[in-house]
Amino acid sequence: MSHDRNTSTTPLDTALDALPRGIEPERDLWPAIEARLEPRDVRAGRRWLWPAAAAVLLVVGSSLITASLLRDDEPLVARRAPAAGQVGYATAAFGPGQTLDPAYETARQDLSRTLSARIDRLPPDARRQVERNLAEIRRASAEINAALELSPGDPLLEELLLNAYQDELAVLASVNQLAGGNGAGPIDATRMKL
Amino acid sequence: MAEERALVDSAKRGSKAAFETLYRNHVGKVYGLCLRMTANRATAEDCTQEAFIQAWRSLPAFESRSAFGTWLHRIAVNAVLAQGRRRSERLGTTGSAEDEAVALADPSVGDTGTVLDLEAGLRRLPAGARQALVLVGLYGYSHEEAAELLGVAVGTCKSQVHRARQLLGERLAVTEVVP
Repeated sequence: MSHDRNTSTTPLDTALDALPRGIEPERDLWPAIEARLEPRDVRAGRRWLWPAAAAVLLVVGSSLITASLLRDDEPLVARRAPAAGQVGYATAAFGPGQTLDPAYETARQDLSRTLSARIDRLPPDARRQVERNLAEIRRASAEINAALELSPGDPLLEELLLNAYQDELAVLASVNQLAGGNGAGPIDATRMKL
Repeated sequence: MAEERALVDSAKRGSKAAFETLYRNHVGKVYGLCLRMTANRATAEDCTQEAFIQAWRSLPAFESRSAFGTWLHRIAVNAVLAQGRRRSERLGTTGSAEDEAVALADPSVGDTGTVLDLEAGLRRLPAGARQALVLVGLYGYSHEEAAELLGVAVGTCKSQVHRARQLLGERLAVTEVVP
């Protein structure tokens, strides 16, 4: 915090300065707060909860994609990229102290691995764009996480972070879908979620 | 300061006793901030509770780059703003102090009449103007910091503060001298 007042002091400034900054609440709020404090070890387990919403995105929106991508030689059936914002989310804690849901991480790593194996099938321009966009999304996620450290619980930042994770998944799934078809013929990059 | 650092470290490791001491040390300023921003005692109590609960949850990520109190204040401001957004969504309005049946506790019993008038004047300000003035004029945030916290442009924050000062000046018959 830094004072940002005009240099001249007005009577109102003087009056404001005279106000006590602290005001004790009329009742003790601690018992109600304490009742809601989760023990650290329990919370460690619960940290996994919020990214489960992102994992749901995969389960609901692209379970077929994931399953098919992992079986390289089988034809894909009804592949569909998950739409961003398709799945709702619950308010929860985010930030650098949080850990991603293992299921989410596994799915993300699977998609990333498959993408690495198949990205060569993309036209050079589309490949560069995919790599650029993924890097941009991941950079944004890191910056939002850093901002959340300074401003924990900020609902806008939390929403932005979840959107960034969803965008990353959507790009991964969409590119994998298109690059993983029969491997022949032109790929319409405009169909990707880039 | 070193003592507070030790308390923060203990609370990070899960000590509720240490966190209670931090609560006792900071609740006055946090509640004061919430009360003046919301102009409603019950809402301020809710926001204070939410701020401390959020602080407990986020404490493992707190790296002491800023003072604990500063960090806690930002959480409290966010709790107030989040509560305001939820309320607006419920009511389908933008909300203002005039909408609320304010039942503000007398925060300054024993103080002068001027202080009482000023507290009353603050809580009757429109919400946006009040929040900007409370952050900038009372709690020492810069316009830039306050604008970022409130999610408005710096120019908007400055005009809100100006408006708040004008309204307060009129209501309190305090002559505002333009510097």
